[in-house]
Amino acid sequence: MANPSLTDNSEQHPDRYDSIPPLTRPVAVIDVGSTSIRMAIAEINGIGGIRHLETLSREVDLGRDTFTRGGIRRATTEGCVTVLQSYRQLLEEYGISQADQVRVVATSAVREAENRLSFLDRIYVATGFEIEAIDEAEVNRVTYLGVQPLLEQHPTLSTAQSIITEVGGGSTEVLLVQSGDVIFSNTYRLGSQRLRETLEAYRAPQPKVIEIMRAQVRRIMEQVAREAPDEQRPEVIVLGSDVRFAATQLVPDWDRNGMVSINVEQLETFSESILEQSINDLVRRFHLSFPDAGTVGPALLTIVELARTFQRDHLFICNVNLRDGLLRELAAGDTWSDEFARQVFRSAIDLGRRCGFDEPHAQHVAELSSQLFSKLQESHQLEPRYGMLLQTAALLHEIGQFVGSTSLHKHSLYLIQHSDLFGLSSTDMLLAGLVARYHRGAAPKPTHRGYAGLDREHRTAVAKLAAILRLAKAFDESRSQRVQEITCLPMDGKLVMTVSGLEDVSLEQMALNQAGKLFEQIFGLPVLLRPDPSESSLE
Amino acid sequence: MIGARNNNLVNRELSWLEFNQRVLDEGSQGGHPLLEQLKFLAITASNLDEFFMVRVGGLQGLSKKKPRRKDASGMTATEQLEAIGDRVRKMVQDQYLFFSGTLEPALAKAGVRRVDHTSLTVRQQQVLDRLVENEIYPILTPMAVTAEQECPLLPGNSLCLCVRLSDEQRGAARFAWIPFGPTGHRFLTLPSDGGYEYILLEDVVVRSLERFFPGEEVLECVPFRITRNADLSVREDAAADLLSDMQEVLDARKASHCVRLEISDGVSEKTRSFLTEKLTVTDENVQLMPGPLGLADFMQLTDLPGFDTLQDKPWPAVGLPELNSHKSLFEVLAEKDLLLCHPFESFDPVTRLVEEAAEDPDVLAIKQTLYRTSRDSPIVEALGRAAENGKHVTVIVELKARFDEASNITQARNLEQSGAQVIYGIHGLKTHAKVCIVVRREPRGIQRYVHFGTGNYNENTSRLYTDISYLTCDEELGSDATSFFNTITGYSQPLAFRRIEAAPIGLRERLLELIGNEAERKRQGQDARILAKMNSLVDPAIIEALYQASQAGVRIELNVRGICCLRPGVEGLSENITVTSIVDRFLEHSRVLYFHQGGSGRVFISSADWMPRNLDRRIELLVPIDDPEAAARLLLLLETCMADDIKGRRIQADGGYVAPAPVGDSSAERRSQRVLYEAVRRALKRSRESRREVFVPHRAPKPDSTGT
Repeated sequence: MANPSLTDNSEQHPDRYDSIPPLTRPVAVIDVGSTSIRMAIAEINGIGGIRHLETLSREVDLGRDTFTRGGIRRATTEGCVTVLQSYRQLLEEYGISQADQVRVVATSAVREAENRLSFLDRIYVATGFEIEAIDEAEVNRVTYLGVQPLLEQHPTLSTAQSIITEVGGGSTEVLLVQSGDVIFSNTYRLGSQRLRETLEAYRAPQPKVIEIMRAQVRRIMEQVAREAPDEQRPEVIVLGSDVRFAATQLVPDWDRNGMVSINVEQLETFSESILEQSINDLVRRFHLSFPDAGTVGPALLTIVELARTFQRDHLFICNVNLRDGLLRELAAGDTWSDEFARQVFRSAIDLGRRCGFDEPHAQHVAELSSQLFSKLQESHQLEPRYGMLLQTAALLHEIGQFVGSTSLHKHSLYLIQHSDLFGLSSTDMLLAGLVARYHRGAAPKPTHRGYAGLDREHRTAVAKLAAILRLAKAFDESRSQRVQEITCLPMDGKLVMTVSGLEDVSLEQMALNQAGKLFEQIFGLPVLLRPDPSESSLE
Repeated sequence: MIGARNNNLVNRELSWLEFNQRVLDEGSQGGHPLLEQLKFLAITASNLDEFFMVRVGGLQGLSKKKPRRKDASGMTATEQLEAIGDRVRKMVQDQYLFFSGTLEPALAKAGVRRVDHTSLTVRQQQVLDRLVENEIYPILTPMAVTAEQECPLLPGNSLCLCVRLSDEQRGAARFAWIPFGPTGHRFLTLPSDGGYEYILLEDVVVRSLERFFPGEEVLECVPFRITRNADLSVREDAAADLLSDMQEVLDARKASHCVRLEISDGVSEKTRSFLTEKLTVTDENVQLMPGPLGLADFMQLTDLPGFDTLQDKPWPAVGLPELNSHKSLFEVLAEKDLLLCHPFESFDPVTRLVEEAAEDPDVLAIKQTLYRTSRDSPIVEALGRAAENGKHVTVIVELKARFDEASNITQARNLEQSGAQVIYGIHGLKTHAKVCIVVRREPRGIQRYVHFGTGNYNENTSRLYTDISYLTCDEELGSDATSFFNTITGYSQPLAFRRIEAAPIGLRERLLELIGNEAERKRQGQDARILAKMNSLVDPAIIEALYQASQAGVRIELNVRGICCLRPGVEGLSENITVTSIVDRFLEHSRVLYFHQGGSGRVFISSADWMPRNLDRRIELLVPIDDPEAAARLLLLLETCMADDIKGRRIQADGGYVAPAPVGDSSAERRSQRVLYEAVRRALKRSRESRREVFVPHRAPKPDSTGT
């Protein structure tokens, strides 16, 4: 048969059956940045594997608009619509049409725009893309996900203390990591596009501009040096297209897969030569796009200053970006990886220590919360990531003590909400803070600050998690961590709980009588704690 | 010496004219069958027509606008026009000397005879009378042309008769023109007693002038032909709708200024001055032709049936043994890459890739560039079918492909109607790269099948031009091809490629780097060698890099079919460079490069010639061929072309050509096109033999063990 038809195709090619579901799934991530909208299309295979298919990038003026005018112009919005519509068209070629196959995020230029909401609405109406304007912590978290595999493979960096940094259009991220642990993370309002735009407003002559730029960068670097604990003179790992461009120029045979080490002095000479050239010259000479040509100089200058701040004579450059992290996350499913959760808890413990918390108690309540969260899964039906938020809240529920014992639960909320916890978005931090806030005192009310602004899903989640946290806390009423294993059994309209290895549980029973009220209110089940029957039978 | 004496570059126009002379010489001295000789002659004439339309028109404009501006070889436009005039006059002389002095008599002897109106037999006269009455007279319309009237619009490159009639009333002559227009019937077959006899249309009309001008006295009748400037293009910066603006350019070309006027020699001074005045042509742009005008038209005769002995024996393209009808091309490509050397190997696999993709239910998308394609192209048809079958088809149709604009506009519209997304080229750049990507969903994930070529997606020219096709599903090349496509379709800004390089983004830099690296290796004491085959070598920066490499001691062998502005073999400048040019039965068209790289050797194919227009104003590709088997084949191809001393000529420092001194075994076949053709035939034979399974003899049945 010369032209096999659709129906007889399987006969023609017995090794291909449409009935077998494909092992791989095409997905896409789109990053709406300050100077461009970038898209990565990839295939994920269900066990975390990622195969890149396409990478695209189109210039936009978002950074210029937001950083100089405060808001996004209509023309720029329409420019973004055109780009995203064309991306949508490409996605159709791969059959990528489901919402769970695409993640679209926007960074500082959109996040900081006054008219952010109308921008997001317009994009949604015109393209169907729901853009998440992610905050700094989320950017850090996702980027870290992308770098993690490279760090693990590297002989020295896997154990050394390292600064991971990226100079974006609007902000610079700084993460301090060691042996896979994130020790510190922060985002500074220092971006290549922001620098360029602010300085253009000065209309200073070119040599002067470089001086002003350098002074501005140094001021921020002093802040970084003050905040980041740097006893060990960390290695510096730099991400971002600007520095990648410099690396390809300085190390032409870099294969772009791994990391490359470059000399800071060479980079400094190169960045100075770049800053001396006009944008037109850069475009002509290096075939850069106009926005890239505008940001490469300030970005390299920032990197050089950062390396100097940490007294490094060389730094590492790697070809990883936000989209790599987003893809890894898509590939890993919506759940946080264990490793990532560990990073979040580590960061929470750091915060707790700074607030002088009762660490053994906090850790134990977190442990018990986690136990209860998984044992009560059928009742609460929450996604696993809420379990992580619950544990974070459990670790930090008493940090309000640092401010004062009166209304300590409210202080806890305030402290958590305004902390620099690694990996949690501002919504996540609010949720964790509220759960901590409701570990005691009144039940959640729609009039309560913070709680009132939540949507229904989040409101229910907070109430459920707070109810569980109260139970967990009651189990360590003795603050001696004597309760280890809890069993839960719904029976005759009650939740019957037993604790193994303990005969006398009266202290916990008393605590539970009080703490269980919220649980009963939320889940409709009174809580009953029984002593361990095996202990009594021994007698 | 072509170009200024103190200059290291040959003038490109004069170099091109030398190439055309080479084609003419190949026709007259190459030992080809007679109708093939006629083909070579017709090609030179058609080449000259295009040269006048495209190059001379532009130079004439430049000589007026910027008279002092010098080109890379140090010549002003006026100097170039003078040199071109001299060279062309000599070439035209050679053309007619060959045509009338050698070829026509030989053809007549072999049975292909042109008859003029004075030597017709009675039967032939009767046939012609009928023909004139029924077919010619109703179609051709004489127009009275007076000095006062506006000049009638004559189409370029088509014949016209100028008739001078006596006008007794005014006591002076009057003129009439009979334009032939695009009749397509210049060669009229006559009844004959043996062989093939024909008469030219102009001769028939001359014979029947009385029918056109009854009762008038014809004083003179001469054929003439004009060539119009075609160097017009859309101002894309101002073009709101490229499609309609391109149509306007096509219309404008019909009325652009006349760059050349050819008149049959023997024309009277009166008629000549009337024509030059009327057509506003200056004397230096008038050519008097000592024979039939428009020798390019004689191409029509070269396929004459029944005269096989006067034509080349066919070299049918060899098919690929891997591609039997039971296996899909996708399955074959999943196993191995395919390298095809056209026209020795068939173009079918390329067509088949698109045809299979159009029908295959797993194919998601097809993306393809189209520069020059055939009228009823099966590829275009398959693309349309694919779009109708719901596949995402994106086609970049280059509307600016000169002389193919009209056909491309039609194809673009048809494709759009089928549902394909058609992109009409890229603003300010011509898309010359040849690439096709098929995106297919397979159990192991999305796979991309890519075709990279050096020639157009045109199955007709693929039988006549030497080109390379490379079909692969290599992950990196697929990703690069996709990125490249996203860039040229405007979906994305240019991003760094993994393996390929594209003009005008980084191709020039990459070439300079590759050449520079060879020079550096040589300076450091390593072996260094460059082999490169292309159609034209014009770019001054690349030529300078080659000079530098030569001075560093790099052995450079170039195979440049046409224009070569590099001066090879000049002491202290280019003594390590040799340039060979091949003109044979197939048009050399492939662009293949080899850089020694200290012994590791890297081979590339490319769509780009080394000319500023290709490297700066066109979208072109450079593709590394890293598959060892394919790379070895291409290196062998290059070496075979360099060693051709039968159809190859060495370019001299002055831009002229000489036959190279024969080297090596005199009995060995060194005509490269034959060597390459025989090689693919041998490969096919070997493959067939090796495919034979182990013989399975029919044995006598075993005796039944039960004994029954």
